[in-house]
Amino acid sequence: MANIELLILITLSLGLLSYVLYHFSPRLSSALTILGSFFVFGSVLYHGYIGSFDVSSTLLPYVSFSSSALSIFFAVIITFTYAMVSLFNPYFLKTHKAGNVHNLLFLSTLAFVLGVLFTNHFMTMFFFFEAVVWTSLFMIPLKGSKSAAIMYYRFSAFGSFALLGAIFLLKANSGTFLITESLAVVDGAHQLVIFILLVVAGMAKLGAFPFHIWLPEVLGKAPDHTSALFSGGLEKLGAFIIVFALVRVAPVGATFAAIDLAWSRYAVAILGALTIVFGTLMAIRQDDAKKLLAYSSMSNGGYMLVAFSLMNSISVMGGLYHVLAHALASVAAFLAIAAVARQTNTTKMSELGGMIHKMPITYMVYLIAIISMAGIPPMGGFISKWLIFQAVINKGLIFVAVAVFFGSVGSFLYVFRPLAALFLGQELPQYKKTLKEAPSLMLLAMLILSVLNIFTGVFPTPILKVINTVIVEMGMNEVVLTTFTIEGFNGLLHPGLIALVFMVGVFVAFVIFISLKKSKKVGLMDTYTAGNFIYTEELMHYSVDFYAPLERLYEKYIDIARNVYRSLDHKIKEFARLIKYFIFTYKPEITAFWVVLILILFLWGDIA
Amino acid sequence: MNIALFVAIPLGFAFISILHKKLAPILLIAASLFIIVGLSFVQNGETVIGGFEAPYGIHLLMDSYRLTALYIVNILFLSVVLLNIRKYHQMSTVLLISLTGLNGLIMTGDLFNLFVFLEISGISAYLITSTNKNPLASFQYLVAGTVGSSLYLFGLILLYAMFGSLNLADLSMQVSQLTDKTPVLLPFLLMFLGLGVEVKLLPLNSWVKGILKDANTLSGPMIASVYAAAMSLVFGRILIDLFVFEGRFIVIVSTILLVSILAGEAMAYQSKNVKEILLYSSVAQAGLVVLLFVSGLASWALFMVMANAISKMILFTIIASASEENGDDITVLQGIFTNNKLIGFSFTIASLSVIGLPLFMGFVVKMNALNHLFGEQMFLAIIAILLASVVEGIYFVRLLLHLWTPSETTVTFDIRMKAVLFALAVMLIVFGITVEPIESLKDTIEIGLNVGGTSWRI
Repeated sequence: MANIELLILITLSLGLLSYVLYHFSPRLSSALTILGSFFVFGSVLYHGYIGSFDVSSTLLPYVSFSSSALSIFFAVIITFTYAMVSLFNPYFLKTHKAGNVHNLLFLSTLAFVLGVLFTNHFMTMFFFFEAVVWTSLFMIPLKGSKSAAIMYYRFSAFGSFALLGAIFLLKANSGTFLITESLAVVDGAHQLVIFILLVVAGMAKLGAFPFHIWLPEVLGKAPDHTSALFSGGLEKLGAFIIVFALVRVAPVGATFAAIDLAWSRYAVAILGALTIVFGTLMAIRQDDAKKLLAYSSMSNGGYMLVAFSLMNSISVMGGLYHVLAHALASVAAFLAIAAVARQTNTTKMSELGGMIHKMPITYMVYLIAIISMAGIPPMGGFISKWLIFQAVINKGLIFVAVAVFFGSVGSFLYVFRPLAALFLGQELPQYKKTLKEAPSLMLLAMLILSVLNIFTGVFPTPILKVINTVIVEMGMNEVVLTTFTIEGFNGLLHPGLIALVFMVGVFVAFVIFISLKKSKKVGLMDTYTAGNFIYTEELMHYSVDFYAPLERLYEKYIDIARNVYRSLDHKIKEFARLIKYFIFTYKPEITAFWVVLILILFLWGDIA
Repeated sequence: MNIALFVAIPLGFAFISILHKKLAPILLIAASLFIIVGLSFVQNGETVIGGFEAPYGIHLLMDSYRLTALYIVNILFLSVVLLNIRKYHQMSTVLLISLTGLNGLIMTGDLFNLFVFLEISGISAYLITSTNKNPLASFQYLVAGTVGSSLYLFGLILLYAMFGSLNLADLSMQVSQLTDKTPVLLPFLLMFLGLGVEVKLLPLNSWVKGILKDANTLSGPMIASVYAAAMSLVFGRILIDLFVFEGRFIVIVSTILLVSILAGEAMAYQSKNVKEILLYSSVAQAGLVVLLFVSGLASWALFMVMANAISKMILFTIIASASEENGDDITVLQGIFTNNKLIGFSFTIASLSVIGLPLFMGFVVKMNALNHLFGEQMFLAIIAILLASVVEGIYFVRLLLHLWTPSETTVTFDIRMKAVLFALAVMLIVFGITVEPIESLKDTIEIGLNVGGTSWRI
């Protein structure tokens, strides 16, 4: 389907159809959702690749579209996420309170996301943004957590209205709501305000520090497969806005001569660095695998912020590639956890273990995903982090460099914990009988994601070439690429070669593993309890308090950001109580008092 | 068609209804229908009462602004009446009087006459609220309302002493010719405070809580929607035509408005009781409307009144009806929409329109108003509106999530109520999608406005 408007309308009507169908056959409704999602993904991929999108708009009033390499790039990633998650839908709807609306909301958000990405008009974009927020909002409480949905709305609304403020300022500045035209002429007194508002909007949607509170809430409490959608799909819309603010708007404010970077961008880079550090530290603490991945999403959002704020080809390429690599990895990881949670009903690592015995494929999928997330070759995450590292070091940003490396090292610490705690170890007796490998559709989704995670790490140049067109479109020089290598600031990178070396290493390790003596299996209770009875054997699980010594260093400070928002909430309520106490008292004499007071204020002689 | 009939017919019917109690509900509906039908036959111009020419005699005026205002008020009035006439048929006479008062308020071109209609509609409002079965709150409303109209009257007397005229157009002209405007600011402040009581501006609106907290399906929408619309439109007309803003008066008015908006939203945010949330939200909306009026955006303010009136009518009717048996704590009402999709749909649309989300009328109004404010660089007002929208969104989301979450609660709604509210909700969508009628109406309204007052920048 080459026409974007028709694509959006068809997706919406498929959503309605799936809602109606659900009442006859939930299975058919889910099948339709899968079909719709793949259809959208296929259309975007095909027409985006051959550049044959039809942007004419005849049916919807006030709506106009345009297609750019940037929007196609984001659209492919997000629609792919939707397609993969849609394969999980059929297995999760039964557990939902109102499963009948899920498919409707799912396809509607997909349609609105397309609208956000492809419109060329800021007001239309705001409309689609709001539509995405309001439809995705109702997907969160389908398994019961209203508070997470409200939290999501708080930050989303803040972001949306910051975006709206920026839109109107741009309009006042340039006289038009058209995106390209108005972004091109940002200048004058409002330049800085526009920049700040756009960055705030993007950061709120991306879940970057200090607007990150909603991210672990939502990703941790949303239905298991929906978390993947938020992390891989909807959160990336924030990155889309960030690109607007940091790449498409000319630099704002004075420049730091030493590092040749506008201070406003430097500030964003520092915020990105803080996002990485705080996300990593919080992820290390988590016992819930989903929350852990949520904080990891946050820290990866920080990488994108850092990358886009540096404003050179390598860093922007790194940022865009990171959007892709992180989407693939985090969707795979969330889906793997969802596959486990579907059968065990928990995502707490201390209550799980030994899943590898019954779910070996899910284990492999998760393993590959976290290798990519940690930025280890030969997965996609390595390529993007390599580009970002280079750009940061080349600019000489010491603090930021420390943060990005800390984030990478930290991610070793946290991503391998679920691997060890959840998949490895001994099989827990309570799951021994019931546990099975995930059903075929879910396996299909996870396998596709794994293949892509490896592919993006081994042979990234075709995708990087696509990113080059995006970069050129935004007015920067393209990065030099050959079929197998990438040229960075400090030399060539040969991902294929690295992968080969890695494989050899793995092979050697494997040979050593099978040639050595097999480990001895002991019962779970066969431990070192020295005559004590164990009442809560979960506490004996080695993943409990795994990093306690490290956590002790900062456990006093983890609630600061949350407390700031909580006290803001309290302050608003206190203000309300104050007004209620002094004005809304049921007493007319209070009204009379205020009238008299105002008159006195008015009639008082001149102070001067 | 003589526009005096819009006042005379309900008044006359009110007298007849006292003699024939059984006829009263029929007379009420007949009068209300007559006015709505009659509105399509009126022409712009003035009608002199009693043969005394303006500025000496009383006269009624008609222009696009007043016509639109009459349509809004009368259609909503009729909807409220139709939904409640069976249960509250004993209120028919009172409602006829209030119809007289409201129509007179909107049409009159004479400031003393306006006071008379203010009292007429005020007294009938006190009587309508007596159906809440909370006589103390009604009494407080009476006291507050009387204080308000006395202040208005006081201001008016000062103006009369200065200019020797009570005619709006005449006064407006004379005020605009003044070189030193300081003397007229005191009467304006008094009138602002007086009308502020009825329009629910802080800190003059303590009566609202007592009234709307116990509101039923008649008094809730009547006070929060119909009366609020009529009062703010009348107030707005005076602000646009007559008022000048200078010096300390600006400081006082802008403080009152900004505090009304922000405190209203904050109080709604803090409340756990659905009716309280709605009533505090309407305080903030009232502040916003007056803010638009004083900023000189009369037509957008008019449309905002319209959007708000429709939304509040839907919200208050639904909550008043649902809370009749169960009370209105947010947790008690959880899940009332599960089996009432149509009602839930209408409620959702109304609240989304209040927040100002795309597709709904509230959005069109808010966006255009914001666009103008940005053009004028009135950043304080803009920040207030944007912040208010965020807070508003949060408490409405909380409300909607609670009301939609499935639970055991079963509430049944009257089928007629479903139909009427759904039609109103559809209206919000229609005006949210097709902008042309609003745009063209806006142009005709602005031609008719006699802008004698001045707006200023917050």
